[in-house]
Amino acid sequence: MDFEAVIGLEIHVELNCATKLFCDCPNRPGDEPNANTCPTCLWLPGAAPCLSQAALEKAALLCLGLGSELQPLSAFDQKVYYYPDLPKGYQLSQAHLPLSRGGGITITNERGEARALRIHHIHMEEDVAKLVHELEGRQPISLVDFNRAGAPLVEIVTEPDFRTPHEAMEFLKALRTQVRYVGASECSMENGTMRVDANISVRPRGSSQMNTKVEVKNMNSVRHVGDAIAFEIARQSAAVQAGEAVVLHTRLWDPDKKATLPMRAKFEGPCVPDPSVPAIALTPAWIETLRARLPEMPAAKAERLVKEHGVSAEDAAFLSADTDVAAYFEALTAHGVSAKMALHWIATQVLPAVRERGQELSASPVTPARLAGLLTLLARDEINANAAREVLVALFQSEASAETIVSARGFRQISDTGALDALIDQVLAAQPAALADVRNGVGKATGFLIGQVMQASQGKANPKRIKELLAKRL
Amino acid sequence: MTPITLFENPNPAPAVPDGPLYGTRVALQPTISVAGWPTDAGSAALAGFTALEDATVVQRLRQAGAALTGLTRTSEFGFGLHGSQAGEAVRLGAADAELVLDMMGECRVAAARAGAYGLTPSAGLLSRLGFIGLIPSMERCGLLARSCGTLHALLAALAGPDGRDLTLEEAPPPAPAPLPADARGVTLGVIPQALDGLPAAQAEGFRAALARLATAGVAVRELPLPEYDLFALVHMIVGSVEASSCAGRYDSVRYGRRPPGAKNWNEMYLSARGAAFGTCVKSFLIQGAFFQFERYAAYENACRIRARLVAAAQRLVSEVDALALPLPDRVPEDITAAPLAETCAPFGCTRLASVTGQPALAMPAAGACGALQLVGPRLGDARLLALGETLATVCRGGK
Repeated sequence: MDFEAVIGLEIHVELNCATKLFCDCPNRPGDEPNANTCPTCLWLPGAAPCLSQAALEKAALLCLGLGSELQPLSAFDQKVYYYPDLPKGYQLSQAHLPLSRGGGITITNERGEARALRIHHIHMEEDVAKLVHELEGRQPISLVDFNRAGAPLVEIVTEPDFRTPHEAMEFLKALRTQVRYVGASECSMENGTMRVDANISVRPRGSSQMNTKVEVKNMNSVRHVGDAIAFEIARQSAAVQAGEAVVLHTRLWDPDKKATLPMRAKFEGPCVPDPSVPAIALTPAWIETLRARLPEMPAAKAERLVKEHGVSAEDAAFLSADTDVAAYFEALTAHGVSAKMALHWIATQVLPAVRERGQELSASPVTPARLAGLLTLLARDEINANAAREVLVALFQSEASAETIVSARGFRQISDTGALDALIDQVLAAQPAALADVRNGVGKATGFLIGQVMQASQGKANPKRIKELLAKRL
Repeated sequence: MTPITLFENPNPAPAVPDGPLYGTRVALQPTISVAGWPTDAGSAALAGFTALEDATVVQRLRQAGAALTGLTRTSEFGFGLHGSQAGEAVRLGAADAELVLDMMGECRVAAARAGAYGLTPSAGLLSRLGFIGLIPSMERCGLLARSCGTLHALLAALAGPDGRDLTLEEAPPPAPAPLPADARGVTLGVIPQALDGLPAAQAEGFRAALARLATAGVAVRELPLPEYDLFALVHMIVGSVEASSCAGRYDSVRYGRRPPGAKNWNEMYLSARGAAFGTCVKSFLIQGAFFQFERYAAYENACRIRARLVAAAQRLVSEVDALALPLPDRVPEDITAAPLAETCAPFGCTRLASVTGQPALAMPAAGACGALQLVGPRLGDARLLALGETLATVCRGGK
């Protein structure tokens, strides 16, 4: 039987707010364990949660960035479960009245078709504490670190619109880009600022029924999400084929075994509205003020780059995947660099160089203005590509302009016909065999001769001019 | 005899040299956080827990120059009055006032029991930061004292916005409408259904009090409310579900006693909480868990009905100066663990205000006049106290 998968995602994103969701403790989970705590986020008796305005704004901005509709009224509920990472026994989450509903992201599937994947709703919640399991001698102990307790999270719950691992992965990549755009989170699955649970069920292809789903957790990269979903589809398809029933449960992805394994049964009760946090009423005026703070989003930016700069849709997608890259590109073109050259240099030279040096593009010493100086010389044929690459290295090492470096280090290329002819004479006289090859039609001999002339010029000759002059002579 | 106090403040001198409450001796309960004081809320689940910071109301008591005398014994989490000594410090003159957590009328019944006045202020008027109770949406800081004047001074010092409790009213309460010059011109509303099933003696005392007020010129109007029984029902369902959900905070794991021998976390939770909670609280939590997990729709209905009851009660109150409701002035003497029904029995008539969030004033019995409660419009606390003062004069035999 041919099966298709029905997949929905639940994505937790940790907001990069300065403080926690319900108290003023610093939102820095990585600090010395339990350094960032107070009675509220230790959930001690008598504590009262106070919703952070900054977290609400950031969460709302994220919703707007994903095209989700902010709700006029939302509220927190108590999600009850008993586990040592949540000593108060309930997590404050928006179960009944979420912050926003709807929205979605359009991705391109394996067959190159556009697929609109819908978001069901987005809600806020507090993070729980972190458990650290250690050995004290031979006695296993579990330690609780409350630095993360009460950290601001949003959970993005999608519709079960996904059919393949590829779609889930593309959605997550696009989501990450968009959340980074609005500045709400770094969305790093590796660092745990984005955590993804996948709900997966299978059914005969063409059927519209919804079968029992299995939840898979513990993937710490986008790749792992794809692998875990693929594994689970295969596992469930085989089970159904063998006549076994799929039962509702949660599984953990084991990256070493490359398999999902069943975990503890999930206890989940209906959530009770929390009486301590007032309901959140958003006015249209507040929402519009917030919307004005929304940057140009990736899809709109890519579309504009295609229109204004004539780049391909693929290149536009590459550029707009990171606001810094797009901004760098646009700054270069504003300095008169052609879109093609700007794109080529960013992708093949600047980004690798910045990454190698562990810098941020936006803080790189090679500003768009300085690079534009170099690329203008290259475009005018005043230097050749080899020299340009060396000048780029020099730009990273000093504050001098490209012009100054080129002059000081003699990178300007020789284009003068007389000087080049003299060099060519010299080389032809020294390489009679190669000259004969060229005349006998051995193609690669021409390249050899150009290389010899370049060498004779100590790399300064204009290779295009050499080629032209050689052609005339042969 | 059980001592009244759980903890006596070794240094009760006021923190500031003057203030509107300067020298007023106030006793607290261990359900209200005082930094450094034992704060077990009367439960073994919190045995050994010490509050890290003052409740906002405690901070304000200090700022107003009050002398904090210590903590009185309380029922478990302040729920009901079994095992509670609330009101005794005032009755015996050991304190001028007490703060008593009120979730179903504890402060009001305790006041009547002590022959004192008790105010359950409007919901949203006093900060709830630092309270350790069972029903967040109903728990309020009750004030108990020998006169309405003291209650008024306490209310003025403690009420008002608190940046750490965002459920409070942001604006100050509206200026009270002027009172009639004396008892003539005051109109009280009586819900006849509130007298159904009342113990004969209590009904008698209540009627006597109304008759006394009527002879002094107070108009008494009957305001039928066929849905009256629903207040108790809504209180039981909504209150117990809130308790079941939020009592997870009282885990008896980070504080309290942790029984040895558990093989894993779940067992530890079960044995610790099983050993810590008393019978009555356990029954209440189990009832709440039943509605939360097995009859959630009934809980949602109860919440909807509550909204309707709030509107109905507010409408009734708007037709009169205040509602008059009966109030028992004694609770069964047995202070050992009582079953849930017995614990809740004295609170039949006090739950109305607990459900609606309206202010309620307990007036003690005087002679043949039984104790009674006045329920005013929300945020009409100041006027309710003034009304209470006028009517108290009448009940005590004044003009």
